[in-house]
This record gives sequence, C-alpha cells and structure tokens, in this order.
Amino acid sequence: MASQTDAAAPPPRMQLSEFQQQLDDLAQSAREDFSQATDTESLEAARVRYVGAKSGRLKASQKLLGQLDKSDKPAAGKSFNETKQLVESAFNASVLRLEQNASDSVHQEQFDPTIPGPRPRLGHLHPITQTIEELKDIMGRLGFSVADGPEIEDEWHNFEALNILPAHPARDPLDNFYVSGGETTSVQTMLMRSQTSTVQIRVMENTPPPVRIISLGRVYRPDTPDATHLPMFHQIEGLLVDRQVTMADLKSVLRMFASNYLGTDVHVRFRPSFFPFTEPSVEVDMSWQGGWLEMGGAGMVDPAVLQAVGYDSDAVTGFAFGLGIERLCARRHGMDDIREIYKNDVRFLHQF
Amino acid sequence: MLVSWNWLKEYLAHEVDPAELAHRLMMAGLNHEGTREVGDDLAIDLEVTSNRPDCLGHIGVARESCVLFQQPLRLPEAQPPVSDTLVDELTGVTLECPDLCYRYTARIIRGIRVGPSPDWLAQRLQTIGIAIINNIVDITNYVCMEIGQPLHAFDLSKLKSGQIVVRQASVEEPFLAIDHHTYTLDPAMCVIADAECAVALGGVMGGAETEVSANTVNLLIEAAEFDPVSIRNTARQLNLHSPSSYRFERGVDSHSVDWASRRCCELILDLAGGELSAGVIDVGRRPSPSKPIILRWSQLSRVLGIDIDRDIAGHILTELGIQTKRQDEQSVEVIPPTWRRDLSREVDLIEEVARVHGYENIPEDARVPMVPSQRSDADRVLEIVRRVLLSAGFDEAMTYSVVSEEDSSAFSLWTTAPPLRSSTPMLKGADCLRRSLIPSLLRARRVNESLSNSVVELFETARVYWPEDDGLPREELMLGITSGGDFFSLKGVIEALVAAIQPAATLTVRDTSYDLLDATHSAELWIHDQLSGYFGHVSEAGLKRFSLRAPATVAELRFSALASIADLKRQHRTQSPYPSVARDLNLVVDEQVRWSQIADSVRSAAGELLEDIRFHEPYRDPDKDGPGKKRLLFSVTFRSSERTLTGEEIDARREQIVAACRADCGARLID
Repeated sequence: MASQTDAAAPPPRMQLSEFQQQLDDLAQSAREDFSQATDTESLEAARVRYVGAKSGRLKASQKLLGQLDKSDKPAAGKSFNETKQLVESAFNASVLRLEQNASDSVHQEQFDPTIPGPRPRLGHLHPITQTIEELKDIMGRLGFSVADGPEIEDEWHNFEALNILPAHPARDPLDNFYVSGGETTSVQTMLMRSQTSTVQIRVMENTPPPVRIISLGRVYRPDTPDATHLPMFHQIEGLLVDRQVTMADLKSVLRMFASNYLGTDVHVRFRPSFFPFTEPSVEVDMSWQGGWLEMGGAGMVDPAVLQAVGYDSDAVTGFAFGLGIERLCARRHGMDDIREIYKNDVRFLHQF
Repeated sequence: MLVSWNWLKEYLAHEVDPAELAHRLMMAGLNHEGTREVGDDLAIDLEVTSNRPDCLGHIGVARESCVLFQQPLRLPEAQPPVSDTLVDELTGVTLECPDLCYRYTARIIRGIRVGPSPDWLAQRLQTIGIAIINNIVDITNYVCMEIGQPLHAFDLSKLKSGQIVVRQASVEEPFLAIDHHTYTLDPAMCVIADAECAVALGGVMGGAETEVSANTVNLLIEAAEFDPVSIRNTARQLNLHSPSSYRFERGVDSHSVDWASRRCCELILDLAGGELSAGVIDVGRRPSPSKPIILRWSQLSRVLGIDIDRDIAGHILTELGIQTKRQDEQSVEVIPPTWRRDLSREVDLIEEVARVHGYENIPEDARVPMVPSQRSDADRVLEIVRRVLLSAGFDEAMTYSVVSEEDSSAFSLWTTAPPLRSSTPMLKGADCLRRSLIPSLLRARRVNESLSNSVVELFETARVYWPEDDGLPREELMLGITSGGDFFSLKGVIEALVAAIQPAATLTVRDTSYDLLDATHSAELWIHDQLSGYFGHVSEAGLKRFSLRAPATVAELRFSALASIADLKRQHRTQSPYPSVARDLNLVVDEQVRWSQIADSVRSAAGELLEDIRFHEPYRDPDKDGPGKKRLLFSVTFRSSERTLTGEEIDARREQIVAACRADCGARLID
C-alpha cells in the first residue's frame, strides 16, 4: 500500500518495479471487488474506490509517477495506462454482468443442475435368489457342484432310499403334498418333494463315489403360512461321499462355510439330533455375537442310505447337511415375516 | 417333554445345578427349549426327538443325566404287597386284535378311597401342566410321566360282567370319551370293551362310562402296548391327541409295561388304600429280547475322525445300560437295553459313544481335500437371463408352484392335459400344479396395482408341471415375464435376451390365438425351428379375469430353448477398419405386407456388404398414399472389410434393394 505523501516534503525516489507491483495489486484487487459486486450500489462504491476522480486508487497511483526516475517514466506511464484500461474494462464487464443477471432471472432459461437425472430402471434380483447364489458361490469354492432333480418325486427317492420307512410319521398324507390326477396311467405314488435330499439319492444312484454336490430348490410341506412357516420354501443340501470322510470333515466344511457366509471366523457346534437319513445326526450352531445361532441339520450319511443307492458302506463314508434358505435370507436381511417373500410387492423387491 | 425339577431330583443320587443339567442334556441330545418357574419347582422344557421315546418320562431323563454325570440312578421298587385273592378270579381279558394291541395286562385293586392327591404329587403334575382330577387318575398320569408307559384305571364295578375284550371297533361304533364327546369309530381302531360296549379307545383315551368317580371302590388297572401306526392314525383321524397316544405312537418299552402297572398299584395302595389282588392278567406277545450288535472299534475313528480310547468307549456303552457279551481287540458284542429300541446297528452305537463323549471333541480344522467344482451350462445361461432382465428393468418375482383351479384354467400354453393336483391345497383353494407361470405373475401384478405401485415389471424363472403317460410328471423350467410396456418393448427385451444368449440366433414370430392374449397383439416365438415361447398383450377379458386396471403384456419362454442355443464360448472376429455407409429408405406398401417380408427382400438384394438393417417406424398418410397403405421407414448400413465404400456403389445397392422390394412386395420408394 502506498503511503500518502506530503506535498511539502521532498519526494522520495521510487523504483519502477515497486511501482509496477503496486499497479498489479491494484488491478487484481479491483477485478475481485467488481466481480463480487452483487448489485449496482456495491459496484458503484467499488468504482469510486478505484477510479474515483478525487481519491480513487488509480488517481493516487498516477501521483506516484512523479517519484520515479525520469528514465523510468515512459515505461511507468505505459504500465499505468494499461492498468487503467484493465480496471475500466473489469468495471464495464461487471456492469454488463449485473444487467444480464437482472434480465436473465426474469426472462431467460437457466441451467439447473439440481434437477434429478433420468435414472435407468434397474431390476432387482429376488432376495431368495441372492441368498441361493451366495450359498452356491461359497460351496462352489469348497468344491461342491450343483446337482438338480425333479420337484415331484416318487416315494423311493423321497422316503425309502432315505431310510424313511413306511410306518414313519414323516410319510403321513397330512404331512405331505401327494400328487395325483392328470391323465397319468402310472400307478406309482408321487409327491412334491419334502426335502432336497432326493437329489442326493438320484446323483448317487447314477454316479460312483466320490460325490461332492449341493442340491437346492423348492420343497413343499403342508404348513399354514405364518411369520416363520410357509408350505413352500427353499433348501440347500450338501453331500460328500468318499473314502475316509469323517465327522471332523463335516465340522470343518461347515465351519468354512459359516465363516465365509458371515464374513468372519466363526466356530461351529454340534448338538445330537435325529434324522432318518443320517447317523450320527446333529443340529449345527454357529458362534455369532457371543452366542450360538442355529444353522441347520447335518450328519454322517446313514449306511442304509449308502446301501440303498448301491454303495459299499464299508468302503465309503459320507456326510450331508441341510439348511433352510428362507430362514438364512430373513435373518440376513432383517425380515420379520417370511410371507413377504412370495408377495412380490415391487417395493419389497427393490430393497435388496 | 416338560420335566419337573423336584420330581427329577428324586432319581438322582448327586447334587447338580438345574441350568448345568439342562445344558448337558442339550449337548447330549435333549434340546433345552427353556426353563420356567412354577411355584417352588422348575418346569424344564426338553425337546425329545422321535427316536428317543425312552426320554418321554422322568426316569428316562434321569437315566440320561446319570450317564452324563456318571452317577447311579435311584429307581422306585414297584413291589406292592398283594392279598390272597387271585386276579383271575375277579376278571378276564380277551385279546381279539393282536395286530392293534400287542399286549394287555390288568391288575385289580379293591376297596380304595377316591380323594384328592397329596400336595407333592399334585404339584409335580401341575408343574408339567397336567390337570389334577383325583388321586387315582392322578397316579395313573404320574406313572405315565414317570416311566413313559401310559396306564388307565377303570371303575371295575361299571365294567359289564367285569370282563375286558380288546377288539377292533365295529363300523361307525359310537364311543363316549372322558371329554364327554361322542366319537364315531371304525374297524381300524382298537377299543377296550366290556361285555357290551367300548369303554376306552385303546391307547388314546378312556371312556366316560367307566371312569373313576368319587364313588369308585374297585379298580382295574390297564397297562398295555398298542401298535404305534394304528394309534397315530386313530389320534389323527379323530383329532384326539393325548399324552398317552403321543407315547404309544413313538413306541413304549415292552419291558416297562409290568413295572408301570406294579408302580401304579404301589402308589394307589399308598395313597388311596385298598387291596391288590395277587397276580396279573397278561395276554398277547411277550417282549422280545434285544438283538446283539457288534461294534468294530476301528469304525469309531472311521466315522468320527477322532480316536476314542477303547476303554472310554466301552465305559460309555456300559453307562447307557448296554451290556457287553463279548469283547476283543477288534470288536465288542453288546446287547442294548430294552428301552433303547433305536439301537440296532453298529452305527447307532457309534453315535451313542460320540454324543456322550461330546461332539466338542471333534475338531473343526480337518484338512478336507481340494476338488474343483463344476458349473453347468444351464446355470450360466440362467445367469445371462437374469442379467439381461435386470438390466432391462425387470424385478425377479417368486410365486407359488401350486395355483387355484381358476388360475390354472386361465392359461395353459404347453399342454392340454389337465393339471396335476396336490392331495391337500397348498394355500387356500390352490391345489393345481401350475402349467404356466403367467397366471401367478398376473396375480403379482394385481397385488402391486392394489398397492398403487405404478411400475410393475416382473420376471420369474420356475418350473411348470404336467402329467406324462408314464413315470414322473414333466417338469420344465420357464421364464415368465410381465410388463406394463407395450408389445414391441416386450419384444425388444426378448430379442435382446435371445441375442445375449446366441447373437446369431434367428427369432421369428407366428400368429397365435389364446383367450388370455389379445387376438392381434400376440404371437408365438420361434427360435430356429423350435416353438420357444409366447408373448403379447393380455386381452380385455384376461385383464378383467385378473382384476387388472392397467394394460399388461406377458411372455413365457422355455428355458430349454434358450439353453440349447447358447453360445458360451464367444469367438473373436476381426472388425473392419473401414467406415460404414448408411442409406435411409422410406417405402410405401400395402397394409398386408409385413416388415419381415421387406427385410427378407432387403437382405437378398443388398449383397454381402450389408452390415445391418434398422427399422425406424411405420407411418400412415392416407391422403398422400391412399387407403390401405403404410410407409415403412428404415435404414441400411454397408461396410467392407477391405476398403472404404464409395457413395456411388452404395447408391447402386440401394437401387437394387428398392427394385427387389418393388418386385417382391409391391413397394414404392418415397424420395
């Protein structure tokens, strides 16, 4: 900032570079002030500050010319004129800008970046499919391939081969959807499969060991729909039959599965249970947040099942496990009523 | 099974914390559902799996506890004093249906006083939720809940001739039960009758006529064993489930029948007085001895993956009441106790050793050999289907496999065979296995319409079913789609889908006619020469049938048709480095001329340089072109892989195309 000079005092000498620096500062600050003016009043105030005839900063700079060496004066005069033009054109631009704004806001189109873009509609995969794909993915990494089989089964595959003998309560007509009708002349009894273990039987009947598969899909059991029960639901079952397959392998595979699914290292716990097609049979829990979470049922394939499919139960052993997919899905996504799963409300589907 | 803690303690010689006991029992197979305080007692809820009916009594649970804590079990003597009178002099039992009732025993007590039960007994029954009636009935219930053997006490004086006949019920035989309902029986059911009529429904419920009342003085105590399947059927058929039927369904210990009878008599003499006649009437089959089982020691590690010391394993078996007949380095031959009918094979013994030894001893870090998993082509195609439909804005729906008769009859594209039916409806009124996904998807549309969801774009991949002449039904995976868009937007999605699966596939449409679909805006889809699906607008009648307000389109495609053409290993083709040249055409044709005809002519006339034909739009201007005419606007693109094409040669091609369209379809070019 140049200090005010006293006319009476002998004028101090000034360097050309110093003078030019002052001019640059002046131009810079004038441009800023003009561009920041939001109305004509503030712009006029800024104009007076810089180009005012009496005490404007340009006027003050002009007076400094006298303090320069004579030899510097032509260059200094040129710089002064350029600066003056710069300041004036900056002022004129701001005048124009304010005029423009005034007319724009009333009459002209304005770009509004806050308007939402047209979003492409993206479909959502059903949460059950998402859960199934995740399970398939994990089990695939553990070497289990997907096997498929019919949803409508005969009693051999749904019961007998699974060691569920005719007197077993699981075969009660009221606990199953037996199927009839159509023009079928077949006399065999058919039912909608009550478990995906049927697929294991079919695979073992057609494949010599080793077998390492998962089967998944729809299963059916008469149940009145409520928040935790449906007459149709999905299961995933795993089967590994080979030489020297033990319960320790079962526990280890389930632990890898659970750790992978929950994304953190977990432990699994076996509680004794009973299923006709496995012996020993266990309920599987996984450790979660300081407690135990029920995972599903599992066990070593019952020798009667191995024999039913023609395997030598003294040569091979196997393990099997089964999980309910709706339960996993409901827990994963915090659903408190699984009936929502089959309602197909698009708002429900769009959550996942 | 509810267990009274005060009651259970009676059989345990050791002190144990109830919470610890419940946990140990859970880890050994009796899942602990919860514990509730009842007065100064605890009701411990244990889930008993169907293979363990021996745990449906307090003694059975106590026996498990004693095995786990390696403590002795304290059992009541059950040796009541008897009088000089022989039971045979007082009554007789005729067993006419040994298939329904394996064994029937009867004892007689005379001179009892019916009154209230003592507090200790009443409280124990109350803890486990059993109603208190009078000392005699309470005692029969008590012993049932003690050993798991149901019992029944008859008022002897009300039995006509004082005789028991165990027989099949006659056709539509009426029976007045103690719940004072009259049930209609059939010959598959077993009744206990006197000389005149049924006085009890064997193993399920007693009768009102002969029940013990305040005036009862003489009793006949029944302890029997009934056929599990017939009991289950009877209870189900009459919807009459009791603690008694529950236990007979699962099978009682034949060797406990007499013990339970004596125990019941012992308690009656103690608590209600009277005299027990000497002897027992015992008809039917004798309990068969358990068969020996051989356990090869090597099988323990083979199945469990851990080594369990032979002595420990042997000790566990002994604790469980399993007797060793013979033992050597290789194996042990044992006889399971009579209450463990579930133990009949080597592997059953392995499980016993494992669960008592503790599954926590099985490691969870075994090195399972690595094996690469295989992914099927069908699975890959299914993923493409999903990806394309999601990208096209469709949400995946999931609907039930079984539909109502009304919905089943609405649409069946693939078969004229009547639908298969489920024996019981899956949901209210729904018992037809679906032959198409479309009705289910239209129901889903309806649900969304009722929720004012404005955009409803859904697809589902699921199976449909129809009967086959022989063997299991046909099951086919279908892709069902429903959209609020029009015919051509849906067609575009299908075209994009087919192209995503096989870029070279030829998709053609043929006219079709279905009531649910609009007469003109619907078509069959053919991929190469295979009928692969149907699509179109839902007809007015169809919309009404499904109570839909807004127009809708639907499609159903055979997944197998898509999978069979899939190109899953795409091959690279060098792209031409030269620019393409395009020409627009605007042809006037008769209304009857279809785009596919024009496209065929274009293709045949355009030559090998043709890269693409793109249809733009139809346009009708009767004033200029006359009635019955339409304009088809489209463009053709040419490209060479060897050079840049010149405008002149492409104009010449265009002339050829116009000429061909004129010759083939009577088309006129608008310049």
